[in-house]
Amino acid sequence: MSELLAKKDIVRLVDQWLAAGRRVAGPQCVNAGDPHRQTDLINYTWLTKVEELQLDGFVRPTNTIKEVVFPRHEKLYGYEFKGKRIELVPAELPTAEQIVVGARPCDAAALHILDAVFNWDFKDEFYNRRRELTTIVTLACSKHDDFCFCTSVGAGPCDKRGSDVLLIPLDGDRYEVRCLTEKGQKLMAGATTTSSETAKEPEGPPTRFTLDALGEFLAAGYDRPEWPAVTRRCLGCGACAYTCPTCHCFDIVDEGGASGGARVRNWDACQFTMFTAHASGHNPRSDQSQRQRQRIHHKFQIYPDKFGELLCTGCGNCSRNCPVDMGVLPVLKTIAAKS
Amino acid sequence: MLDELRQTCRRLLQDGAVQAVIGYGRASPDDPAVPVFISKPEDVDQLVWDDRCFANLTKYLSRKEVLSLGKLAICVKGCDERALLVLEKESQIDRSQITVIGLACDGVGQPRLAKCESCDVHMPRRADIVVGKATVPDADAGAKRYAEIEEFLKRTPQDRMAYWKKELSRCVKCYACRQVCPMCYCRQCIVDKNRPVSISTSATLKGNLAWQITRAFHLAGRCVGCDECTRACPAGIDLRLLNLSLAKAAEENFGYRPGMDPDAEPIIGAYSQQDHEEFIR
Ligand code: SF4
Ligand code: SF4
Ligand code: SF4
Ligand code: SF4
Repeated sequence: MSELLAKKDIVRLVDQWLAAGRRVAGPQCVNAGDPHRQTDLINYTWLTKVEELQLDGFVRPTNTIKEVVFPRHEKLYGYEFKGKRIELVPAELPTAEQIVVGARPCDAAALHILDAVFNWDFKDEFYNRRRELTTIVTLACSKHDDFCFCTSVGAGPCDKRGSDVLLIPLDGDRYEVRCLTEKGQKLMAGATTTSSETAKEPEGPPTRFTLDALGEFLAAGYDRPEWPAVTRRCLGCGACAYTCPTCHCFDIVDEGGASGGARVRNWDACQFTMFTAHASGHNPRSDQSQRQRQRIHHKFQIYPDKFGELLCTGCGNCSRNCPVDMGVLPVLKTIAAKS
Repeated sequence: MLDELRQTCRRLLQDGAVQAVIGYGRASPDDPAVPVFISKPEDVDQLVWDDRCFANLTKYLSRKEVLSLGKLAICVKGCDERALLVLEKESQIDRSQITVIGLACDGVGQPRLAKCESCDVHMPRRADIVVGKATVPDADAGAKRYAEIEEFLKRTPQDRMAYWKKELSRCVKCYACRQVCPMCYCRQCIVDKNRPVSISTSATLKGNLAWQITRAFHLAGRCVGCDECTRACPAGIDLRLLNLSLAKAAEENFGYRPGMDPDAEPIIGAYSQQDHEEFIR
């Protein structure tokens, strides 16, 4: 037995949620109608009307849903100069419930992976609050491209991690609905119909490398001579990290004037030269190959050692959005073949 | 043409004229071409050349990871080559130490990129070795050079501001536009100055406006219009439109197009008693 929902009914649901004043994010073509655009740009965005929602017809959005729980800019607290005293003004925690609809499994799984680091030595109240307020309706992928490699990292088009509801396409017009959490059940209550039909779980991309071979290379030592040649074309930007659903580094800065300001956190990226620059001027990772090595080790060795899961869902965004078509996949393929 | 390119590079490496060639290669036929660095004569067969060779490789002339390879040869399209001239004028490269391999280019991308539609440098003009012959003529293409910005400027200022606000609000400050740009070679970019912070590092609309205005100012009269920044931007922001307005201002006010004429004084680096701005005299 299964629960089914017609595509037009999910659209109707989104319309109801919006009408009820709920914050709903989903994939949208953000440059439709722009005379200067060269290609369609699909991003997860806060929807203002249901017509903006574009559930399928593309592989995955260019940005990720991490922004709904971990925005690129966030005020941690304010401060005011009062004579010689400094007064701290707590930032207000978010209170609005939010729904992501049409999330891809590689995005949803990333939030599950991130929960560990945001609740490790320090429990991040901003992240956790947003996470509690968020319900995620994931759509299993029926399309993939040459950049996707979820199936090589233990994820896949029906990965359940991080999702509250999983929609699996049954035919062109209907989805099988799997409510995976209480939040998901609450959201879908009364909307679905019971049926004896079940959807066939879509197949993902072919395996691009094996985790065993990769693990062997990484375990064989830190200073492997392969790194410079494998990573030479990297330009050291943040396109990979900022479009990665699992990258979560941030920088904390004070922004203000003579009367006060705020302490804020902004996304940061490990491929920037400044990322590890010390105040002394010394930079322990002064070469791009060292920074790339760190990126790969962190995602495929350090994080799994510490938290038991890879810091990568194989979404392919880092390569898709890299100006020189690098990202992690070509690096992983090369080093796994060399182990 | 590809054979000729590979032969040329093989010879350069065999003779020891250069230690590495910066060119394009690809892992499998469906992939776009990526920058490759060939150090051994037997590896030249990795080199490719076709209309999916987008990257402006001159960027690598300011990357220490590439400079460390030794004496270099570099493959350039006509538009990329303009960057070399600006880098030379700004004393960033010693042109006599670099072997420039010019690639005759009919345009890149399917459909062709916007820059290719109005390109008037299909044949590299100052390369040491030119490979191939372009079949697309340069004539008349220049007339369309500023068509997009002219069209855009017909909109009201309010409308234009609304457009930029919408576009720039998507900027995530990944700095891919800066990192691909051959003209962005500063060891420490002003946006990375943190003692104290000069430009807000926040990817808010305000911070993003500050960033792109800074970028535009620093590229005025220097941007060669290779459009790499536009291609790199994961937020799909049409930086080309901003760059066109810089190029238009430089050409209309100073008769100058960066990277075109080796005898022209760079407008940012030159001083003239005849300048019509009083503050500069
Ligand atoms: S891998 Fe690509 S996207 Fe990532 S820092 Fe390097 S050039 Fe930028
Ligand atoms: S490292 Fe790349 S493939 Fe892995 S989750 Fe991040 S963007 Fe996706
Ligand atoms: S600003 Fe953009 S178009 Fe101009 S030189 Fe730099 S990368 Fe090329
Ligand atoms: S490449 Fe695009 S998103 Fe990245 S900093 Fe430049 S304008 Fe912003």
